[in-house]
Amino acid sequence: MTSIEFSLDPTSGVPTYLQLVHQVEHAVRLGYLEAGDQLPTVKDVVASLAINPNTVAKAYRELETKGLTVGRPGQGTFIQSTLNPVALPELSGLQRSLLAWLATADTAGLDEDGIVALFANALREFRDRRSGSGVRRGAASDEAEGVA
Amino acid sequence: MNVIEATRLGKRYGSTWALRECSLAIPDGHVAALVGPNGAGKTTLLNLAVGLTTSTAGTVTVLGGAPAGSPVARDGIAFVAQDAPLHKNLSVTDMLHLTRNLNQRFDQGYATARLGELGIPLDRKTGKLSGGQQAQLALTLALSRRPRLLVLDEPMASLDPLARHDFMATVMAAMADDDVSVVLSSHVLAELERVADYLVILSRGSVQVAGEVDDLLASHRVLSGPDAEADRYAECLDVVHALHSKAQTHFLIRTDGSINPVPPGWKARPITLEELVLAYLREPGAASLPGPMRVRFAEPTEVAQ
Amino acid sequence: MTALTTPAQPGLDASARLVPWRRMAWVTWRQHRLALAGVVAVLGAASVYLYITGEQLRHQGFVSYGAGPGLSLTAVLFQVIPPLLGAFVGAPVLARELETGTFRFTWTQGFGRARWTVATLAPLAVVVTVAAGVFGFLFSWCYGPQIDGKYVLSPLAATTFDLRGVTLAAWALVAFSIGVLAGILIRRVVPAMFATLVAWSGLVVVTGVFLRRHYEPPLVTSNPNLPSGAWVISQQWTRDGKPVSLSVVDQVLRQIGATQTAPGHCP
Repeated sequence: MTSIEFSLDPTSGVPTYLQLVHQVEHAVRLGYLEAGDQLPTVKDVVASLAINPNTVAKAYRELETKGLTVGRPGQGTFIQSTLNPVALPELSGLQRSLLAWLATADTAGLDEDGIVALFANALREFRDRRSGSGVRRGAASDEAEGVA
Repeated sequence: MNVIEATRLGKRYGSTWALRECSLAIPDGHVAALVGPNGAGKTTLLNLAVGLTTSTAGTVTVLGGAPAGSPVARDGIAFVAQDAPLHKNLSVTDMLHLTRNLNQRFDQGYATARLGELGIPLDRKTGKLSGGQQAQLALTLALSRRPRLLVLDEPMASLDPLARHDFMATVMAAMADDDVSVVLSSHVLAELERVADYLVILSRGSVQVAGEVDDLLASHRVLSGPDAEADRYAECLDVVHALHSKAQTHFLIRTDGSINPVPPGWKARPITLEELVLAYLREPGAASLPGPMRVRFAEPTEVAQ
Repeated sequence: MTALTTPAQPGLDASARLVPWRRMAWVTWRQHRLALAGVVAVLGAASVYLYITGEQLRHQGFVSYGAGPGLSLTAVLFQVIPPLLGAFVGAPVLARELETGTFRFTWTQGFGRARWTVATLAPLAVVVTVAAGVFGFLFSWCYGPQIDGKYVLSPLAATTFDLRGVTLAAWALVAFSIGVLAGILIRRVVPAMFATLVAWSGLVVVTGVFLRRHYEPPLVTSNPNLPSGAWVISQQWTRDGKPVSLSVVDQVLRQIGATQTAPGHCP
C-alpha cells in the first residue's frame, strides 16, 4: 500500500537518492504523508523506476538518520515524525507571496527559465550565507537542492 | 567477496591483444557497469569471466575465488550474451525444459509466473518472439537458475526504450529480492547513471577507471573559468579533460577533497556519470584506479598490486 | 518471486556437484530428433528395398541380373549413405551452435561445455554406427550369395567391400567424425556438410586405390585357376620365382621361334 509515487528527473543533476529523500520530505511537509504511513518497499520502487536498489536503500537510510522514518524489520519503512511542519495558513501565505513575486518577475520580462535560474542563484547565495555564518540546520538547507 | 577478480589478465587473438595487463576486483552486491569504446575488450573480459574462453596471460576468478569456467563458477553465474541467443526453433516451453535439464537449480514456478506477467506465450517458437520478448525470455531463463551473479553483455542494444526500461526493472528487482550481483556492459551511458554503482572503463584492452560510482563522482569536479587563466591553473590542477569554448574553459578535475581546488573567480559544479565517462574515453592516457597509485593526466597507467 | 531452498553458496562449497549425465538425454533427443528421424527414414526405406530384393533373389535362385537394377548399381547408390549420415548428422551438431551463437547460452549452463559435447556426440555416434551396421548386414544377407564369388561381384571389389557389415558401420562412424570435426573448424553448417562430403570422398579414393591392397599380405601363386572373386592385384611373368621384365619374356619367345602372335593363341 503506497501513499507516494516517486518520479525521477534525470536532468536535474541531483543524485538519485537525494531526489527520493526530498520527495519524501516534500510529501511530509505538505501533509501527503503522515506519521505511520508506510513507504513503498525497495523492490516496488526499483521495479517501477528501474534504479539500483542500493540507491533506494541509501535514501531510506538517510531518511532514518534524519529521524523522519523508522524501519521495522519484516514490515517495512514507516514515517515516524514530521519535521518542522509549517502550519497551513503560513504555507498558503508563503504561496501567495510567491505568486505575487512571480507576477512581478513576469512583468519585468523574465521567462520561465530566467525565473528558475534567478531563483536557483538566490537560493545558493542564501545557503552560502547561512552556512558561512556557522549555522547548519540540517533539513532546511537540504531543501535548497530539491528545487528543480 | 569479489564477484569478478582479474589479475594481469591478458587475451590474445592471433597477434592482437584484446586484453592486456587487465586487473580489477568487482565487489559483490553491486551493479557494475563495464564501459568502453568498441574493441576495448569488454566482450572478451566477460567471455573470460563466464568461462567461454581461456586467458593467454594472467588469471580471472569469480564468486570469491573460484576459477572461471569451473563447475562452481558455472553453477553460480548466469550469462546473457549480446542479442540474447536462443534456439530459434525450440518453443518457449522447450527452452525452459532445456535450461532445467542443464542446471542444478531451476525455479520453474518463477519462470512460468514471470513469463505469464510478460505475456509471452509458452508454445510459441522463440524465433517468432519480438526482440524485447526474446531478451526478457533470456533474462527469465537466467534468473530462474538462481545465480549469485548475472552477467549481461550489451543486453539492451536492440531493444526499444520501453523494452529497455522493463528489462532493467526486472534485473533491479531480482537484485533487490534475491541478492543477485550484476555485471553488465553497455553503450547506453544515460541509463547507467540510474543503475550502476560500480564503474569500470576499459580502453584499448586495459582498465582505465575502476571504482564505486559514489567515490568517483565525489572525487571529480567540473571547474569553469575564463579562457585566459586556463593555462595558469592547468599546471596545479589534476586535470583529466579540458574543454575550451568561446571565452570559457571547462576543466574536469580530480580532487581528493582535502583542499579547495577552485581558483578565485572560477565556478565548480559536481559531475555526472556520463560526463565522467566521456571525459575519460576522450583521454585514453588518463586513469583513475583504486589504491595508492594515482595517475596524472596523459601519463601511462600503473596498476597497484 | 517464490523462494527455493538454495544450496550452499558457491563460494563456500568448493566442490559443486555436476549435473547428472542422464539430464542430457532429453536435450540431445529434442535438438537432433529431425536428424535421427532422417537417418531412420533413409535407412528404413533402403532396408525395405533390400529386404524385398533379397526375397526376390532367393525366390529366383540367384540368377544374376534378374532382380532389380542390379547389384553394381545398387552398390554404388548405397555407398553414399554413410557420408550422408556423417554430413547431415555430424556436421550440424557443433556447427549449428557456433553459427547461430547459441553456444554462448548452451556452454555457460551448469552442465559444462566438455560434458555437453560428449553427451551429445556419444549417443548420436552410437545410433549412426549401429544403424549403418545393421544396414550393412542386411545388405550382405540380401546380395550375399551373389557376392560370394559365383556370379556377379567380388566381395573385395571397391564398391561392395565398403557396404558389408562392419565396414559400413565403420565408414558411417568415420563420416560422422569428419562431420563433427568439419563443424568445429568451419563453424557454419552448410559449408561443413560440403567439406565432409569432399573429405570423405577423398578418403574413400585413397583407401580404395592405395591402402586396401596392403591390409593383408597378398597370396603369390602361379596357379592360373584363381577362385572367382579373387582380387588380382598384379600379375607378372617369372623365372625361377623372380619377376622378369617384358624384354626378357620377348627374348625367350624369339628363342623358341615364336613370332608375333595374336593374344590367346598358344604356340
